[in-house]
Amino acid sequence: MTPVLDLQNLSVDLPLGGFLSRARLTILQDVNLTVARGESVALVGESGSGKTTLARAVMGLQGMSGGEIRLDGQPVAGKAGLARLRRDATMMFQDATASLSPRLTVGYLVTEPFRIHRQPLPDPDRMARDLLATVGLPAAIARRYPHELSGGQARRVGVARALALRPRLVIADEPTAGLDVSVQAEVLNLMADLRRDMGLAYLIITHNLALVRHVADRVAVLYLGRVVEEGPTAEVFAAPAHPYTASLIAAEPKPDPRRRRADLAIKGEVPSVLRRPSGCEFHTRCGLVQDICRQNAPDLHPTTTGRLARCHFADQNQEQGDHHALEH
Amino acid sequence: MSAPLSVENLSVVYRVAGGILQAVRDVSLSVQRGEVLGIMGESGCGKSTLAAAMINLLPVGAEIRQGGVRINGTDMLKLPPAAQRALRGQSVAMVFQDPMTAFNPVLTIGRQLADFAGAHDPARATPDRLVAMLARVGIPNPARFLDRYPHELSGGMRQRVAIAAALLMQPDVLIADEPTTALDVTMEAQIIHLLRDLRTSFDGAIVIVTHHLGVIAELCDRVAVMYAGEVVEEGTVDAIFHAALHPYTRALLACDPAVVDPSSGRLPTIAGRIPDLTALPPGCAFLTRCTMALPACHNPPPRVLLAEGRSVLCHRVQP
Amino acid sequence: MSSAVDDITLPARRGIGRALLRDPMGLAGLVLVVAFLAMALLAPWIAPYDPIALNVKAKFQPPSAAHWAGTDHLGRDLLSRIIWGARLALGISITSVGIAGALGLVLGLVAGYGPRWLDSALVLVFDSMSSLPMIFFALAVITVLGPGTTTLILVIVLVSFPSYARLIRTQTLSLSGADYILAERAMGAGPVRIIFRHLLPNVVGPMVILICMDIPVVIMLEAGLSYLNLGVKPPSPSWGNILAEGYNSLRQAPHIVVIAGIPLVLATLGFTFLGEGLRDVLDPRGAGRRWT
Repeated sequence: MTPVLDLQNLSVDLPLGGFLSRARLTILQDVNLTVARGESVALVGESGSGKTTLARAVMGLQGMSGGEIRLDGQPVAGKAGLARLRRDATMMFQDATASLSPRLTVGYLVTEPFRIHRQPLPDPDRMARDLLATVGLPAAIARRYPHELSGGQARRVGVARALALRPRLVIADEPTAGLDVSVQAEVLNLMADLRRDMGLAYLIITHNLALVRHVADRVAVLYLGRVVEEGPTAEVFAAPAHPYTASLIAAEPKPDPRRRRADLAIKGEVPSVLRRPSGCEFHTRCGLVQDICRQNAPDLHPTTTGRLARCHFADQNQEQGDHHALEH
Repeated sequence: MSAPLSVENLSVVYRVAGGILQAVRDVSLSVQRGEVLGIMGESGCGKSTLAAAMINLLPVGAEIRQGGVRINGTDMLKLPPAAQRALRGQSVAMVFQDPMTAFNPVLTIGRQLADFAGAHDPARATPDRLVAMLARVGIPNPARFLDRYPHELSGGMRQRVAIAAALLMQPDVLIADEPTTALDVTMEAQIIHLLRDLRTSFDGAIVIVTHHLGVIAELCDRVAVMYAGEVVEEGTVDAIFHAALHPYTRALLACDPAVVDPSSGRLPTIAGRIPDLTALPPGCAFLTRCTMALPACHNPPPRVLLAEGRSVLCHRVQP
Repeated sequence: MSSAVDDITLPARRGIGRALLRDPMGLAGLVLVVAFLAMALLAPWIAPYDPIALNVKAKFQPPSAAHWAGTDHLGRDLLSRIIWGARLALGISITSVGIAGALGLVLGLVAGYGPRWLDSALVLVFDSMSSLPMIFFALAVITVLGPGTTTLILVIVLVSFPSYARLIRTQTLSLSGADYILAERAMGAGPVRIIFRHLLPNVVGPMVILICMDIPVVIMLEAGLSYLNLGVKPPSPSWGNILAEGYNSLRQAPHIVVIAGIPLVLATLGFTFLGEGLRDVLDPRGAGRRWT
């Protein structure tokens, strides 16, 4: 079956600036990623990993320097392709309140996709009411302005608007950022319901691993603009094949004082893309670094269990993770 | 000896267009030396207002209605402004969510740290001391670091510098308002470790204000849970996370996506919303959302003291 | 210190009108501006005499029951001339500033959101226009086209639109990276929709304030040019003409200059106060007031 979204060797670079300088900075390098119909894929990484750039490149908000985006098997090209993409795929922004035009009412904003794509909208009020009901908001919200909404309400309005034209793919950039835990739970439940009822596919961009565990079937981990590991969520969490994935999982604060971590999970900071490390780009922070890692860059290759990892020792890491999991 | 920080029956209101908004209601807390107190709660619970009141730097429109904030036994709120300023920075220091806003963008880190320390005590502003402090908060190559500008640093580094600045005067109390919220997971883990190390090396009290349950569990000794301006439950971190008594604390812990097993399907939620803080009901503020409410809950709930530092604001709890 | 209040859900902001009414300065400005507008609109009905009817026998009369503000050197009723003068002063200033504002708004939006080359070209135009000294430019245009109301409006439009355009361009540039503009682009909205529906309502606020502050400048300019016989042609009752004629007869009737100065002062104060009041209400930097 053709996937809804198929990214092939997606690369983005930006001019470094400077007078007459032709130097360019690589932000994303040869990212391959697919999202099947009704599937939920998470893209995980720290700030500077390029995950937001990827979302913007997919929506045509950021120019690409190479690669191809296919929607339902068809390459996205030209104005018509972009219009099709922006109708069938929608984006939820990280800051939900800021992504709503401040001087317009919620009722107008949720029905705006119809106006943009010149779709029939015989009764805007009724459509607004229905869309708001889909995301569990009362009809009265339609008369409010964005600054009058709470964080959770704004998030729901963003979802309602993203769903207006019944897209097949929703790209969600940190869908729970800045929300309280009880509201996070509500938003995640809503996303799960919509996926089941409308057959939506999700590409979720986040650094919140709890969120990934709950909503993603598959996860891809991004480091300095490259995928370093990809595989089914449960397997990746149980036995990460890349040390970076393992460190991210270990770094997550556990809401249980009896399971406090004794040691620091990951040292140092994400290196600057201006000075990419030699060999494996993670070697400067890796706890398992060997000599080979400093010289030779590993490829993204399949592990024994069929996942993908960009590490010389992916198979050993994965086995150790499995043993570790068995012990507990 | 008196506690480095104690808050007594503090109430803070905001004057808003719709009337009087009760942000903090009759809160009493104290922190001992070497102890980390967590103030945990969701948006609108008043935790940030409480943190700001602890150093008496409330925003425009806020007003302290009653109560006191004692620093080493002295009520800061009763001091003249100059004495309060001397206290801030020397005895109480604060670290904010976004450390970028705490720095002047056109001055180097070294210059700002020196100015800050020099304003209180020039003897502490020597480069050696600044370098030693930066090294203590885990900054690599601290000597070279003094010449850098705030925008050249990552969020995690800025937060380390902010903590170094707060510790320069060896305060008795360090208040951190959402210190890791703006950071990535790995940076968050590093700052948690730094604060945990400081707890043993720095002989003062630490107050952490956050909505992130994981940060509280990793870092705090005692926890105060806030809801609608009140401390609804207080206890050791283990008691709060493993033997919570207030229905709100329980509900909050139950719905954290980090706790719930992913295979269980739907996440639990807390139905309803926090009450309008300008028109609070006479009874328990959590009543409309509580699944265990009694008829008595329409009356103000009692503060049930179970042990020293362990209390619950609920009709259902028996002493 | 905003973090301390971020976790409090604040009630919605009240309307601009109501906020303006609570500000004493804004209220005073609003009252004065409304009074002058009423005067201008109702001139034919409220002016007691014909403003250009001569009555040489009754020249240089001091204020009296028949002529509340006295008469001038040709015996014309001063009060009637001032009332009709409001029509001219406000008509010219509002028309010219309105045209300049509309022009500045559209050009500023296009420069701010359009392609880079267009922006560079437009900025060059704005900069060269505003590098011309205002009064010499005005004199040059008047010399070429001859004095008159149309020339006056043209001069004011040409002189003032670049400052509006630059203000709007700066605002547009800073907003075009905002999340909601990105969100609109991600939904497939085209530039026309983004400019007129999403950028325009968010950039006009500061320009409205600037316009209010500029109207008195234009009223003064009109008075000044008319005084120099370069603006509205006599016998039209422009405030500048009244002043100029009053100045010629300062010895016989000093009251003329004093009385003719009053509407100028009041109109200037009215629009300035209204502008100040609007700034406090509209300017996001005044957002601190929201908490009070």
